[in-house]
Amino acid sequence: MKTLTTTVECHESQVEISPSPSFRSEHVDYFGNRVLCFTIESLHQELTVTATSEVSVCQHRKVEENTSLAWEKVRDDVARGRDSRWLEAQEFVFDSPRIARGADFAEFAQVSFLPGREVVEATRNLTRRIHSSFRYDVTATDVNTSTDEALALRAGVCQDFAHVQIACLRSLGIPARYVSGYLRTAPPPGIARMVGADESHAWVSVYCGSQLGWIDFDPTNNCVAETNHIPICVGRDYSEVSPMRGVVIGGGTTALSVHVDVDSI
Amino acid sequence: MSQQSSHFAAYQPVKQRYDEYVDIHGSVRHVWQPVRETLDALGAEGLQAASIEVDRLVRESGANFQAPRGRQFVGRPWQLAATPFVMDAAQWRLLQQGLQQRVRVLEAVVQDLLGAQRLFQERIIPASLLSANPFYSRAYHELPCLAKRLTLCATDLAKDQDGSWWVTGDRTRAPSGLGYALENRIITSRVFPKLIHSSNVCRLASFFVRLQSHFSSLARPCLENPHVAILTPGMDSYRYVEDAYLARYLGYTLVQGRDLAVRGNRLTLKTLAGLQPIDVLWRHVSDRKCDPLELEPTSMQGITGLLQTIRAGTVAVVNSIGASLAQMPALVPFLPAAARFLFGEELILPSLATYWCGGARERLYTLEHLEELSIRDAFSVSSKPPMQPREMSAAQVSQLVDRINKNPHLFIAQASPARSTTPVWHDGKMHAWHTALRCFQLQTESDVEIMPGGLVRVSPDALSLDHSPTSGRLGQDCWVVSDTPVDHEISLLPPLHAPLKLVRGGIALPSRVAENLYWLGRSAERAEAIARLLRCTLSRIVGETVSARLPDLPRLVAALAALGQIEPDYAIAEFEAILPALETQLPASVFDQDQAVGLRAGVTDMEEKAAAVHDRISLDAYRIITQVGKHLDYEQTIPDAGMTINRLDGIIGDLLAFSGVASESMTRTHGWRFLQLGRRIERAHQTAELLAATLVNPIQDERQLLESILQATDCLMTYRSRYLLQLQPEATIDLLVNDVSNPRSVAFQLIAINGLLEELPRDVSINHPVEEQHIARDLFQAVEASVPAQLATVSGKKLRSNLDSIVTQLINQLPKLSDAISARYLIHTAPSQELTGRLSGVTT
Repeated sequence: MKTLTTTVECHESQVEISPSPSFRSEHVDYFGNRVLCFTIESLHQELTVTATSEVSVCQHRKVEENTSLAWEKVRDDVARGRDSRWLEAQEFVFDSPRIARGADFAEFAQVSFLPGREVVEATRNLTRRIHSSFRYDVTATDVNTSTDEALALRAGVCQDFAHVQIACLRSLGIPARYVSGYLRTAPPPGIARMVGADESHAWVSVYCGSQLGWIDFDPTNNCVAETNHIPICVGRDYSEVSPMRGVVIGGGTTALSVHVDVDSI
Repeated sequence: MSQQSSHFAAYQPVKQRYDEYVDIHGSVRHVWQPVRETLDALGAEGLQAASIEVDRLVRESGANFQAPRGRQFVGRPWQLAATPFVMDAAQWRLLQQGLQQRVRVLEAVVQDLLGAQRLFQERIIPASLLSANPFYSRAYHELPCLAKRLTLCATDLAKDQDGSWWVTGDRTRAPSGLGYALENRIITSRVFPKLIHSSNVCRLASFFVRLQSHFSSLARPCLENPHVAILTPGMDSYRYVEDAYLARYLGYTLVQGRDLAVRGNRLTLKTLAGLQPIDVLWRHVSDRKCDPLELEPTSMQGITGLLQTIRAGTVAVVNSIGASLAQMPALVPFLPAAARFLFGEELILPSLATYWCGGARERLYTLEHLEELSIRDAFSVSSKPPMQPREMSAAQVSQLVDRINKNPHLFIAQASPARSTTPVWHDGKMHAWHTALRCFQLQTESDVEIMPGGLVRVSPDALSLDHSPTSGRLGQDCWVVSDTPVDHEISLLPPLHAPLKLVRGGIALPSRVAENLYWLGRSAERAEAIARLLRCTLSRIVGETVSARLPDLPRLVAALAALGQIEPDYAIAEFEAILPALETQLPASVFDQDQAVGLRAGVTDMEEKAAAVHDRISLDAYRIITQVGKHLDYEQTIPDAGMTINRLDGIIGDLLAFSGVASESMTRTHGWRFLQLGRRIERAHQTAELLAATLVNPIQDERQLLESILQATDCLMTYRSRYLLQLQPEATIDLLVNDVSNPRSVAFQLIAINGLLEELPRDVSINHPVEEQHIARDLFQAVEASVPAQLATVSGKKLRSNLDSIVTQLINQLPKLSDAISARYLIHTAPSQELTGRLSGVTT
């Protein structure tokens, strides 16, 4: 029996970079993400990175169909090392560069995490509450907005929503990690699909005990991640898995724009 | 020597403490007897003289250099006591075994934490030591490690009442103090050469020889002569002084992050001759600050892409990135169990009782025993003193308790160590002071070598030694006395038969160093020019001639104003009115610390530039440079005009000594060329400014003025030898502008500049003269074409228009020449910025 609810398989992947880098090399980071490092030594006005991948996302069973453990048991088994995967999971209980646990988060989460409630049900409820009480607003926050501020604002974008939910879960001792990826969107009926209209996305992955393992929830869209969510990389928070980071030497200013296109083949 | 006259007659060991000199029965310990005899034989005066000599050597040594004025600068933390810390061979052997074992255990622990993590799986060490550790970057775990993770470590020790050593802390990142320990030995050997030779004191040099050969062996692929560099955090760091000292002693290149660049997958040094690969990097920068791309993005101390070169295996970084995890205080309580698990061994050296509050029982114990414990960060070693609840108010204690309860895993509690006492000669008396010892270990593939000795700090107050690795009142040289004669022959010089490729010049000059040498040359020359002009002006003012008959003075004052030494107002005001003010104003301007330009600023700038290239200039040259500024020190009242002249004599003398050392003792490398370029450009510029202010608009009777100009440019002797007492403008101008045989003339400077530019490295693809060469040639041709008689001719408007046009050309073009040189050779620290964006996400 497969314990995973969804699996992703990458059949082929290539990255084109323009201008052509003078050096490139690939490695796998601590969390198992593939990292491509490159250097461009020539002067340039624009840098374009095009990554094309062919993937299959397979859902093995519906999350709702499972009966999961009480959230307190997940918490205690990880903390006391009784869970067979405790070592892997416990890492995601503590503070990370962008997420500090706190009483405010615990208080917000407590409403969903009633005593004895199943961990999946409680997390589903928390996801729904973040979706309904937070305003999606690209102007409310920026890339440096802290998770505490996002909670106080009750507003932000997917990155903020994911950070808030992770902070809530960790503040109760539930392991939670940050997923960066893409979302397949269906155009409204009667309208042709627009190429590049999609964007990069982020959601959370929650440890639900050794049987179920990690289950992904999307607070921005109030759902469990199923076959429309294509995870690219995981980490403790955004700082560890930003899709692109680098150092530019020289003056001037930089602006970054991202286009994503997800299509069925 | 009678008992009464012994320095130790009044020595009072501290009760309940182990004393290094006498045992509990009051008899002098065996190892101390010969040392005591020698010290007593010196007599009170002899020991005091030795003590003064030690102070002098510390002051003048390479590792203690004064902070350039107006700069926060951390020099050597302690003075050195004349008396050594002495340890016998048996004691040392035991300590050595314990230290070797400790390094092996720490190495195995950090290998495991950054590898298979069996210690977590088997619950030997709590996993939260990493998971909850804010200083643990996940990249540490993923980086490959081809050699040992800990190459050079240090251990802090205290000796308990029963004579056993206890570990008070580990240093596995980039331990400081190695340079100071070495320097202490070098100084003590100079003061007590016979004693150290006859006492069988183990030499330190062999340890450094091993260090060098091991560092060289780390280069991949194996190289005969790998390029080893010390990465220092920079001049504002307390490490800088010591790093410069070690770099000089070991012959390593001292670099800062901005001197290095990653190209392809290689770490390279930006030099005048292009990028040169670095094979081994001894980093004295925190793990987290080593690479702004993958670690702390705001760090200016690291190198973008360093981790990539480590993954590629093209550079050996010592200690490995992540090595600092082994020194986290929270690890200490778990080491005995880790040693049992990994090696089946008990730790030979016990650690100070340490409680990590991340454990429930330990937290409870800590909170119940706050009065007896010191509280520190669990995950990082800092130079902050620990928190001492027994010295806190009730409110502070309750605040601390709250903090511990909120984040227990962030704190550890430690007992205070008992510390042994040892004889310390201080203020003419022998005291029993408490001691702290830091030992250094070099781990090679197969062995752990311990430096025979260490860094000893002593203090009358035992608690102050717990504060930080640099706390304590004095330092002491640590002597390990061997049972058998020691080999005195070891030095850092490689064996005679070692093959050595002959190298001339020094192409691997970092651009930053070239830049500092260039500006060092400029500021030294500038200081000299101003000092000469000031001396000449002041001599006129205090001279016997009545002021009304000083027709040259207004012009000299104008020249001083042009150099920024005094307010321009003085140059235009009615002269009789300002003369009395000048007599006090000029000396005041010399000693004014806030003046942004002028003599004092030039001297400060010179000191600063010299400090930045401390490892590149000889100790003699450095000593002379630090001497210059001392002439500008004064107590309470500013020296009067007469005294100021004496001070200026001293300054000029030292500046001449420096230029003498530069011309007689520096090899003609690119470094020397930049120093000279700076000097030549500045001298040409100063002379042009002086002529513009004094001779372009001629005064009635120029004779006195001409004499002053010749004096200020150090040309009066030459002039007199040629023309005796006939002072004429044409001959003066010839000597200062056109005479190519006069090292003070503008023509001489321009010839030298052209020659120096010719010798600088250049991109081989460029085979035509470059911009700076054009400027320098044009200037020389203009000077060469000028005729002294025409330059001296006064036109109708009471103006020497030919002279005016040539000095104006010099004053305009020399800065352009300087800029062109900077643009081609000297460092461009273009700002770097983080490139990152955010996700806005998708809503469906």
